[in-house]
Amino acid sequence: MIVHQCKTLEDVLYLLTQYENCKIIAGGTDIIIQMREKKISPEVLIDISKVEELRKIQENDRFIEIGSAVTFSDVVNSPVFEGKLHGFKKACRLVGSPQIRNRGTIGGNIVNGSPAADSIPPLLCLNSTLVFKSFRGVREVKLEDYFKYTDQIGIKKDEVLTAIRFRKPIGYLEFAKLGLRKALAISRISMAAMVHLDGDGRIRDIAVASGSLGKYPMRERKVEEYLLGKTLNKRTVEESLEVLRKSTDERLKGRSTYPYKRRAVERLFKEVLREVES
Amino acid sequence: MIDIQLTVNGKQYSLSIDEDKRLIDVLREDLGLTGVKEGCGEGECGACTVIMDGKTVNSCLVMGFQANGSNIVTIEGLEKDGSLDPVQQAFIDVGAVQCGFCIPGMILSVRALLDENPNPTEEEIREGISGNLCRCTGYNKIVEAVHLARRYENGA
Repeated sequence: MIVHQCKTLEDVLYLLTQYENCKIIAGGTDIIIQMREKKISPEVLIDISKVEELRKIQENDRFIEIGSAVTFSDVVNSPVFEGKLHGFKKACRLVGSPQIRNRGTIGGNIVNGSPAADSIPPLLCLNSTLVFKSFRGVREVKLEDYFKYTDQIGIKKDEVLTAIRFRKPIGYLEFAKLGLRKALAISRISMAAMVHLDGDGRIRDIAVASGSLGKYPMRERKVEEYLLGKTLNKRTVEESLEVLRKSTDERLKGRSTYPYKRRAVERLFKEVLREVES
Repeated sequence: MIDIQLTVNGKQYSLSIDEDKRLIDVLREDLGLTGVKEGCGEGECGACTVIMDGKTVNSCLVMGFQANGSNIVTIEGLEKDGSLDPVQQAFIDVGAVQCGFCIPGMILSVRALLDENPNPTEEEIREGISGNLCRCTGYNKIVEAVHLARRYENGA
């Protein structure tokens, strides 16, 4: 195996053009396990974990941009994700264990595409955009589309995910996770919601996203459509829960874990909506 | 083989390592630091925990070459001038050790926690050691030891 520890993005982009069977490694918390299980056998590893330009969290008046090699601990310790973005911080705080959060990266969580990736439902609610770079140029893709159309628009051989960007939200972002224990638990279900109410308490803008309720984390568009323009109360929450269950019925029916998930989703859904309500 | 520079327990090393070695392999095989234990090999158990540039990592989930330029602390590096680190002493005084396999990683997690937060609450302690599994003690003695270490360090 040939290995490269890169210091600059330029080095990474150049090396990506030089090899066929190569893999990018950042935190390593997924890829090292895959290599040891012989699920993948790259001839070349390109390490981006010490590339400073990929480790920055930047914000201006309107946007926040998270470098792909930013770790979950970096997010948890950053003042940028207080207040309205607390749900994103919460999701990152519930990943794995302290050791995993110190190494695992936001970019890795996205490109590895696990249905249970905790950081993704909140990023979906924020309408995030992914920035890919290669020697050929820059390509931007909506996070939501990335999972839907991975075959067409997934990461290319010579590309590296450099950043995740989203507009600062007006609404308040919430997140809830169901794991079998507190630490080191892969999510059985995760949910994120972002709700913006108008002066009369009606929902002016809403985003709901789920993890582990399908092949990949996704926006729950039917739930959003149902709730838009309504007020949040016992009846509308119950009815929107049924809308959610109808969607998950279509996606997950027949799976051995589904009868459990179908019941368990209620509490998570209510938790994320109740918390945005207050 | 690839050349790397490491600082381990305050000593500088220039090593030529196999590209496919993980940090745990470099520490145990190249440097003989067998206090670093391998349990699950997939980041679940925390037995291989070391402190890398001030933060705990599972050394089974870091490639050796990725650690180039880093500063590593293993359990062997905690003892100073012949006396144990207060965390080690507290674990002994409380009797928080049974089989001992998880203890090097456990103590390094506690060390990193106290370095960052000298006065952790019970909940913060449990969170701080949540990446280290112990199959013997049931954790209560370990948490008690962390409280004691905190008192030793704050001189109370």
